[in-house]
Amino acid sequence: MRLLIVFAVVCFISLPSVHAQSKAATSATTPATQSVLASKSLLLDISPLGEEKLVAVGQYGHILLSSDGENWQQANVPVQATLTRVFFLNEQLGWAVGHDATILHSQDGGLNWQIQQYLPSLQKPLLDIYFKDAQQGIAVGAYGQVFRTNDGGSSWESEFHQEFLLADDVDYINDLKIEDEQAYLDEIAFILPHFNGLVSHGDNLFLIGETGLLAQSKDFGFTWQKVNGFYQGSFFSLASTGKGDFLVAGLRGHVFRRAQEQTQWHEISTDTTALLNDIVVGKDNGRIFILGNNGVLLVSTDEGKSFTTKIQHDGKTLIAGVWFKGRLIAVSDVGVKVINLSKG
Amino acid sequence: MKISLANRVEIGLFRHKFLVLMLFVITSAFFLFQATQIRLDASFTKNIPLNHSYMKTYLKHRANFGGANNILISVCDANGDIFNPEFFNALKGVHDKLFFIPGVDRIQVKSLFSPSTRFVEVVEDGFAGGPVIPADFQPTAKGLGVVKGNIEKAGIVGSIVSDDYSCAMVKAALLDINPDTGEKLDTLEIAAQLENDIRQEFERDNISVHIIGFAKMVGDVAQGAKGVVLFFALAIAITAVMVYIFSHSIRLTILPIFCSLVAVVWQMGMLSSLGFGLDPMSILIPFLVFAIGVSHGVQMINSVVKKVATGLTPASAAQASFRALLIPGGVALVSDTVGFLTLLSIDIGIIKELAITASIGVAMIILTNLILLPILLSFTKIKVSAKVGQLSEQSAVWTVMASFASKGPAKVILFFTVILFVVGFYKGQALKIGELHAGAPALHESSRYNQDTFLITDRYAISVDYMSVIIETTPNACTYYDTMATIDRFQWEMENIPGVQSAVSLSSISKLVNAGYNEGNPKWRVIPRNQQTLVQSIARVPSSSGLLNNDCSVMPVILFLEDHKANTIDTVVDAVKTKAQDLGSEQVQFKLASGPVGVMAATNEAVAAAQLPMMLYVYGAVIALCLVSFRSIRATLVVVVPLYVVSTLAQWLMTALDIGLTVSTLPVIALGVGIGVDYGIYILSTMSTKLKEGMDVHDAYLAALKERGSAVLITGLTLAIGVSTWFFSDLKFQVDMGILLTFMFLVNMLAAIIILPALSAFLWPSKSNKR
Repeated sequence: MRLLIVFAVVCFISLPSVHAQSKAATSATTPATQSVLASKSLLLDISPLGEEKLVAVGQYGHILLSSDGENWQQANVPVQATLTRVFFLNEQLGWAVGHDATILHSQDGGLNWQIQQYLPSLQKPLLDIYFKDAQQGIAVGAYGQVFRTNDGGSSWESEFHQEFLLADDVDYINDLKIEDEQAYLDEIAFILPHFNGLVSHGDNLFLIGETGLLAQSKDFGFTWQKVNGFYQGSFFSLASTGKGDFLVAGLRGHVFRRAQEQTQWHEISTDTTALLNDIVVGKDNGRIFILGNNGVLLVSTDEGKSFTTKIQHDGKTLIAGVWFKGRLIAVSDVGVKVINLSKG
Repeated sequence: MKISLANRVEIGLFRHKFLVLMLFVITSAFFLFQATQIRLDASFTKNIPLNHSYMKTYLKHRANFGGANNILISVCDANGDIFNPEFFNALKGVHDKLFFIPGVDRIQVKSLFSPSTRFVEVVEDGFAGGPVIPADFQPTAKGLGVVKGNIEKAGIVGSIVSDDYSCAMVKAALLDINPDTGEKLDTLEIAAQLENDIRQEFERDNISVHIIGFAKMVGDVAQGAKGVVLFFALAIAITAVMVYIFSHSIRLTILPIFCSLVAVVWQMGMLSSLGFGLDPMSILIPFLVFAIGVSHGVQMINSVVKKVATGLTPASAAQASFRALLIPGGVALVSDTVGFLTLLSIDIGIIKELAITASIGVAMIILTNLILLPILLSFTKIKVSAKVGQLSEQSAVWTVMASFASKGPAKVILFFTVILFVVGFYKGQALKIGELHAGAPALHESSRYNQDTFLITDRYAISVDYMSVIIETTPNACTYYDTMATIDRFQWEMENIPGVQSAVSLSSISKLVNAGYNEGNPKWRVIPRNQQTLVQSIARVPSSSGLLNNDCSVMPVILFLEDHKANTIDTVVDAVKTKAQDLGSEQVQFKLASGPVGVMAATNEAVAAAQLPMMLYVYGAVIALCLVSFRSIRATLVVVVPLYVVSTLAQWLMTALDIGLTVSTLPVIALGVGIGVDYGIYILSTMSTKLKEGMDVHDAYLAALKERGSAVLITGLTLAIGVSTWFFSDLKFQVDMGILLTFMFLVNMLAAIIILPALSAFLWPSKSNKR
């Protein structure tokens, strides 16, 4: 049986210098432009916006809104950075994150966006964001970046979560901190694994990432409990099925399942080696879909206990999806795709 | 002055006619020998406007991004599935054969069987990979299954293997020099080897071989051009029949045709002596020279026979005809020559060559048909019974036609002329510059080459219609985020332009590689801001990819277009110019253009720019010659106005038949005007003499018809027949040229006998005003 290895919060560090840059950089950004192909080119996330709308984000600062999944209109976005994730707390308040450590915010249901953070000099992308209410939010990204806000995003504080360091690195880093402040800052900038996603479930917050990283927090990310060692590759998506079971998917077709009330993760065999990007739970029909690179679509009708593979004929990478009004709508490297589930 | 000069020439020539004949025989022998040395010559650079700014960019970077001279061979399985032993054996055969053709760059031969076709996959501890076809490959079900899996991992579907797995590709680039001989690569020989050693050898019932590329196209064009010999024979035969119908004498049929052929031989011999070759476009000029020669020859025998009929001896009739025709014939031929020479103003090698070829040919006609022919005729026994120009006696026909010069019918004629002109002018505005059809424009859409092109573009994610925008920047610019992001932004803006299907550049490759280095995660498909990461993302892209030069100070963005139609090119070129302005800077300059469509864009612009000046020059020349020879503004008007109406109608015809204004059709307008003016000049030269004698317009026109009418009709028909044989050519542009020239010759002839007299009726008002 795998152990839950519990880490206390060793430290997290605020980097106030970051904010000065943030304000300066804001004025220099170029707004995204309206483009014919915006909904037909690389999009990286799609998310429901209330009951009746969808929002999708992608390259060149594209944010798109739709009420049917087929017709999309572009929002006003003040940056051209590639956006990786979008999150709406309710029908009005939403945030989007992306490369250049960008955090954008909308208060009008996604039509207009403002910059809350834009830090190209960090050279790192943010990969996910989650708000538990209108004030408290957390954003994570590459190289273990964590940013937190308590004022709805007006200010963001950086945190360094040393508990994700390897044991050897902890000593090294602590020594370095005493000896050479600058070398220490340079080192911690790239030492942590990528944090690929945040998933909230009840009181729990899950964090997934590189090198088999899977952690759980009961205090909104101040402290993390790491679930270690059952896979060495990266995880890209975690989801709970309708009945409280969990699925996590990652590199080379790897899918693991944790049944309700258990702590053990079991591997579910798939017949693909493609990278798996997103797990979508079809709420009203009990099906679970896993979207992957090269047109891979895995479908389960038994709560994720087994999957059948349906390769999309065009072979385009399916990056994220939503179950919307009885249809699976995905985003890919050629934009929005309404997946035809009757064909292979 | 003129008369006396002509007299002196006449007396000199006819007094020493044996000497003159000897000179002709010797010169002909020399040029005949030279003509046999002439070679087919189809070089790429001749077809492009070398001084256009796009082409300067193209030539500057050709060494790095040449890549235009590629060969693509698609081997297809008839059952739509390549995974069978027979197919793989054939594919390997094609690969090996192509590899060993001298002149093929062996390093760049790429197919499933080349060792450089590898797959790479991301595994937990890094990358894993190998050749797509493993070293121990056996064409068994198991072996083919492994290959199929590797093909998917290698991401070569759409490039090396067709989208539907029905075909596989062998690609190669050609060298400029044949390494075996050290000489310039013989494109035509390569084309023959592709056809005989590869297609003939490997194509069978269930395996088809499709070959495209510049070398193959030139080979097919040259093959098609050879059909011209047959058309030439056909044109001679039909012309002979026409002349016989006109002259009722075998002797009088042979003489003008013989003299015209002498002109053709001289022209070819002279070209060869000057170091020019014949290319598929100028191969048509001998037709024109022959046809023009015959038409002037017909005027000559017409005149001689009429004079013999009045009782003169053939010798003195020939001499008198020489005297009578030297001026109008000379003026007509000089105006033809000038019409051709105006083409020199167009800065495209092949058109200049056409201008030189054609003007030499027409200049030869002055010698052969205005001098040699009458001298030969002076030796000929001409039966008085010869019914040459029977029509001239049928005054009923001429009387009806002469009424065109009366005010009543003239009003009707001019009314319809104005309507036609207005409609033609309006419709002609829609004339498009450039190629309007898909495929290689020189060949028919139904040709094997174009069908192969359509198959390849259909089944692979490959377009042959691409244009490269060259980005000139500073050394090592590809290691700077800002430069790469600017290029990426430009590429994105271009992808959004209608007509652009897709685009590729070092920037877009860098994004894909960066995602690859990050486990294939699409969220990392960005240009890395971090310089080390950026360098890593481009380090594996070789300069042979055509996406960067050695120090990456020059990088193209390659735009794949839906087609190469004029509209598409215009839209894209305009968009490139706008965005180059917005995004460009001192350090990062976006320059048009390379690639096949870049060349077309430059050619289209050069053609568009040449159109107006060419028209001004050719009309200027025609007007000046008319003014000099007739010394009358009215006479000049009645000759030039019908010509202009016909030019306008020709533009309407081009629009209606979907023929674009191109390198091959632009010269037709100049040729059509230059030659079309002949009819008017012949008719008016008689008319103006009669008018000066005090005859009214109607009678003057009737006299002109009696003297020259049948000759003019025969001339028009002869010229039209000579060029109409091109309708059957295997080459699309020859068909277009044939249609347009036939139209110009026939309709100019009609205009000269219908509109010209009608105009005259108003410009020389009859004193009695009764008619």
